[in-house]
Order: sequence, then C-alpha cells, then structure tokens
Amino acid sequence: MKALAVRSLRHRYPAAVATFIAALLGTAMMASFATLVESAFSAHEDDRELLIIMGGVVGGWSTVIVLFSIASTVGIVAEQRVREAGLLRTIGATPKQVRALIVYEAMVVTLFAAAAGVVVALAGGPALFDALQRGNLITSASSYDASLASPSMAAGVVVVVGTVAAWISSRRATRGAATFSLRQAEVPVRRLRWWRILLGALLIASGLASAIVTITVTGKATDAYAAMQTSGSASIVAGVGLAALAPWLLRVLATPLRPLLSGSGSGHLAVQNLTRRAGVLAGMLAPVIVFVSTAVGTLLMVGIDDRTLAAAGDPEGVGDTIAMINAVVIGMISLFSLIMVVNATVAVVVHRRPELDRLWRLGATARQLRTSVVLEAVVVAVLGIGLGLLGAMATAVPYSVVRHEGLVPNGQLWLPPFISAVAVIVTAGAAWGAQRRAAR
Amino acid sequence: MPSVVCMVVDDTPALAVEGLTKRHGSGAGAVDALVGVDLTFARGTFTAIMGPSGSGKSTFLACVAGLERPTSGRVLLEGTDVTGWDETRRTRMRRDRIGFVFQDFSLIPYLTAQENVALPAKLAGRRAEKQAVQLALARVGLASRAEHLPSALSGGQQQRVAIARALVAQPAVMLADEPTGALDSATAREVLRLLRSAVDELGQTTVMVTHDPLAASYADKVVFLVDGRVAGKMAAPSVDAVAAQLAHLDQLVGAGR
Ligand SMILES: Nc1ncnc2c1ncn2[C@@H]1O[C@H](COP(=O)(O)OP(=O)(O)OP(=O)(O)O)[C@@H](O)[C@H]1O
Ligand SMILES: [Mg+2]
Repeated sequence: MKALAVRSLRHRYPAAVATFIAALLGTAMMASFATLVESAFSAHEDDRELLIIMGGVVGGWSTVIVLFSIASTVGIVAEQRVREAGLLRTIGATPKQVRALIVYEAMVVTLFAAAAGVVVALAGGPALFDALQRGNLITSASSYDASLASPSMAAGVVVVVGTVAAWISSRRATRGAATFSLRQAEVPVRRLRWWRILLGALLIASGLASAIVTITVTGKATDAYAAMQTSGSASIVAGVGLAALAPWLLRVLATPLRPLLSGSGSGHLAVQNLTRRAGVLAGMLAPVIVFVSTAVGTLLMVGIDDRTLAAAGDPEGVGDTIAMINAVVIGMISLFSLIMVVNATVAVVVHRRPELDRLWRLGATARQLRTSVVLEAVVVAVLGIGLGLLGAMATAVPYSVVRHEGLVPNGQLWLPPFISAVAVIVTAGAAWGAQRRAAR
Repeated sequence: MPSVVCMVVDDTPALAVEGLTKRHGSGAGAVDALVGVDLTFARGTFTAIMGPSGSGKSTFLACVAGLERPTSGRVLLEGTDVTGWDETRRTRMRRDRIGFVFQDFSLIPYLTAQENVALPAKLAGRRAEKQAVQLALARVGLASRAEHLPSALSGGQQQRVAIARALVAQPAVMLADEPTGALDSATAREVLRLLRSAVDELGQTTVMVTHDPLAASYADKVVFLVDGRVAGKMAAPSVDAVAAQLAHLDQLVGAGR
C-alpha cells in the first residue's frame, strides 16, 4: 500500500499540492510563533510576558486557523478519492488497505511540507523577534534563543492533525459495500457527523462566551490589553465554528437561491451543484468564512484600539508599536487564510474536470461551463462573506463597546466591504483560473 | 411532422462521412486512427460498428459528434457539411442534433433523472417540455424514478436515463459508444431492446459501437473497422456470423503486424 500511495501521489498532483501548500505555510507560521515562546524561557524577565503573549496568544489564534485549514484541505482531498476507493475495493483491496493508502498519502505530504515549513520558520522566527525588538517591545537584554525543538513540535502537530483528519475522512471512502461505493461514487448525500456539529457548536459558543467575557469582565479591567486578549480570538473561533458547519449551512442557505438562478443553463447547473453537492463545495465555503471573520474582526479591533488607546490609558506608552505589530501579524494570518481560499477553490474546481468534460460532450459550451463554475464560486463567496461578517461581530462589537464606541465602531467602516470585495474577487478569480485548466 | 412529400422526396442520409481521416500526433509517433472512411447511414437505420481494439471506432464517433476535428474528409449531418464548423457551432450541433449514449452512462451526478433528460434543452436556453421529458422517461420504463439522483439508480437504469436524454430532442442521429459495455447480459438486452424500439417506432437513426456480437445482432447492419479502414459490412447480422467475422478480423490484424 505504501508503494501504491507514493505512485498515486504522482498522479494526483493538484490535490497533493493543495495539502502541501496548506501544511507548509501553516507550519511556517505556527513554528515562527513557537520560537518566540521558546525564546521566552531564556529571555530577560521584563520581556518574558510579552514573548509568551505574542507567541502563545497570537500564535494560538494562528494555530486554530492553521489546523482547521489543514484538516479542511485534507478532507477535500480525501473526499475526492471516494470513487477511486470504490474501484480499489472492487479489485480486492480491503477497507483497511484503502484507508491506509489515504492516510499514508496525507502523512507523507504533510511530513515533507512541515519539514519545509520548519526551514521557513528558522528565518521567520528571528525576523519576528527582531521586529519586536526594534519596536522596543523587547529590551536588548534578551536575544532570540530557539533550538529546533519548538519548530519541530509545531511541525509534529501539523503532521498529526493532517494524518488524523485523513483517517477520519477516509472512513467515508470505505463505508458500505464495495460495489455500492463505486456506484455511489459521485454524490454522497449524507448528514454532518455528530462530532462535527458538536465541534462547530462548541466553537461558536466559545466565541460568544469570549465576547460576553470581554464586555462584562476584561473590558472593565485596568490593563488596557486584557480586553484584547479575550476579544481577539472570538471572531476567529466563531468563524472556524461556522466553517465546521459549512456543508449544512451551504445546503440551507443556497436552497432559497434556486428559483433566482435556475433560469439559464449555467445557473441551473450551478445551483443544483451547490445544493446537492454541498458537501464538496463546503470545502470552498469554509476558508472564505474563516478569512472574512478573521480579517474583519481582528483588523477592526486593531483600528478601534488605535483610536481609543489614549483614552483607555496606555501606561507603558507602547500602543503604537503594539498596533503596528498587531497589524503585521494579523495581516499575516489574514493572508494565510486568503491563500487557503485560493487553495481550496482550485482543489475543488480542478477535480471537476471529468464532469465538465462530460457536460461539454453533452453540448454545454465552454462559455456555459465557465459561467457556471464562476457563478458557483460567487455564490459561495457571498454566503461566506455573510457568515464571516457574522463571526467578525464576535470580536468587533464587544471591543467597540468596551472602548466606548458603541455597537458600531467609529471608523474603518470601509473595511468590511473591502475585505468582502477581496473575498469575492479572489474566490471567483481562483475558480475562473482553475476551470480554465480543467476545461479544454 | 414531416409532410408526406418531404418523406418521399428527401432521401438525404441522416449521416454520411467521406474520406474521413484522423491522425493522432505527428512525425514518427503519429497514429492513423482513421484512414479514408466512406460510410452512409440512411434515416431510420440501426448500424453497429465493430472491430478489434484500437481500430478507430471511438475516434469515428468522436469525429462525427464534433468532439474531435478530422484531419481530412467530410462529415455530413442530414446533408450539411459540419466539418469546418467552429467549436461553438459544433457544441450546439451536439446539443441539438445528436443524441449521445456512453459506456459510462455520463449522467450528471447532481441532477435527478428528469433533470438529466432535460439538460440539453436547458443548456440550449429552452424550457424543456415537461411532457416530452416524462414521455421519454416513460419510454425507457423509468417514469416512477424521475426524481431520483443517478446514485440511487442501478447501472441499467442509469443507462436507460441516458437513452431517454439522447432521444428526447429527436436528434438526427443517436450515437452510442459501447452502451452495454458496463452492464450484465440481462440488463444489456433490455437496453438493446430499447435502442431497437427507438429505431422501429420513432425512426431514430442509430449508430452503435460495440464489441459484443449479441449487441450487434440487434442492428440492421454491421460495419467492421480494422486499423482505421472499413474492412467489411454485414446485413441482417446474426450472433454467430458476427462472432465468426470478428475472429477472422483478429487474425487479419495479427497478420498485418
Ligand atoms: N488522443 C490520442 N492520441 C494518440 N493516439 C490516439 C488518441 N486517441 C486514440 N488514439 C489511437 O488511435 C487508435 C484508435 O483509437 P480508438 O479509441 O478509436 O479505438 P477503438 O476502436 O475505440 O478501441 P477500443 O475498442 O479499445 O475502444 C488507437 O491506436 C489509439 O491508440
Ligand atoms: Mg473505444
């Protein structure tokens, strides 16, 4: 099975690339933050807290996003193997062997990607440390001091999560009788698993809890940054929670669009695909939700902080640099989740090659196929934006309240439409580019 | 409805190919999949195309359907030369004038049986007539399965949906590439009976590629291809005669190499 896994990887290049990119960038980001935490142990006493907050708290946020993105990407890829799994089983592979193939493949790809990510972090970690030091957030008494241990740990977590996600997703490929799964190959209409609903609900609840704690507890604390620590993660956690429910949300939200779109041939195809194959297209929806809720929520928070810090009392006079570092770090996290949008969109669309080819043989023009794929992407993006903005409120609203700006922040109101526009353009653009390669 | 005069006068074949040649690749590695094939398919006839593997059968269908452009020669659909048409026109022709049945059924997985049947009309921007769709499904015995997705249908049922889809627009020709290749023999017979009845009752011109002498015996005529050339024809084929001819052709291919 191992040899087969390596061989099959070569044939499934685009899918492997998607996993590789997610694991590489994810490890690079997580491991860079991890080096800050490791450096904290030998750092000067005054700097220890900041390094731990920066590496642990902000690093923790990025960890949530990274791990979700990797699990999500691996899930898309495993989902795409259902047909092949059915085929392998009809020729005598046991379910266990098929699962081993899928799991081993994910492990090999994430292992190589994570190793490359560690190399990136060995440059990224010191750069981050240097930026903190030059911003006078860390005294010159401390120096970067991380071994391979912390990046390797981050890499290990990535590999484990990727492998476990593959193991969970692979069950789908091997459930039921072999011939059955071959015939059922295309559209498994299935409900969300209970643990996924539970996970989504818990994450959303914890996002809401952070929001409430921000208003009732940390917002009243004397430390101006206490509120930021509870509030910053709320939109990220809530966003990931919504994303975990993406297949269900997509089906429910896209169904009312049926009459609206099914007028033209391409719209008809798009809307049927959206509702009946929500499980597949949810792979595209999830990263859009995470991107929008993270970027809008945290960037609005930084903006509010910027405007109101003086009033809130900035004892150490480091507000400006914190805002700057925050913007850079959040920019990085947002960029990562934006890349995940492209990654997932391309993986989903490229896999539709046989189906697009089939439609073409039946008389769909290249233009109709293009319109249909892009239309789908736009609908996914718009729904993702709506849900993402909902998630973003978990951070922006409480933070705005505790900084006395009211329910709606006083500035930066261009940000939500701007991020939304970016989300639509990037999703539709990625789909357009991918179908160009997929169609003939 | 064609008028009586029309039926008498118009004996243009539904499909004809003249000097059809298709070369894959170029230079030393080039493969001649079709070499100067001349064939005529009269209206309302059922023709089987047979030949050893690699003899150019699928390539022939692909050229006729405009999926591939022939290297030289002409394809005439109801007397109209469609060879030089651009991609968009050929796509429309496929949608409106040709019915396709493939070995792998080629149903769209997220569309129900009736939506699959209505798809070509939908792609053409027409509202598919519900009645015509129902009628086509009833014709293949699947009226009660109209709302099912392909994943809830057996292989034979899926292939019957594909036949309903091919028939619904009353195409000039129905092309079938090994339509029974993925089916067991009982189910295959059912599908073949359906094709036969479409020819007899609707006057549907049909061209079917097959490896199976039994399938070929449902046709009016068999055309044998070997190495991209027409190597023989047989009218009123019987299973035994076709099988014997195929065995003979296999020897020819062996001798040629
Ligand atoms: N895209 C292609 N590029 C190069 N050669 C091709 C291509 N498609 C077909 N051929 C070659 O053309 C010849 C005819 O192929 P074709 O698929 O028409 O055979 P066939 O009669 O349908 O065979 P089978 O019964 O096995 O389906 C074969 O030698 C094949 O290798
Ligand atoms: Mg063939």
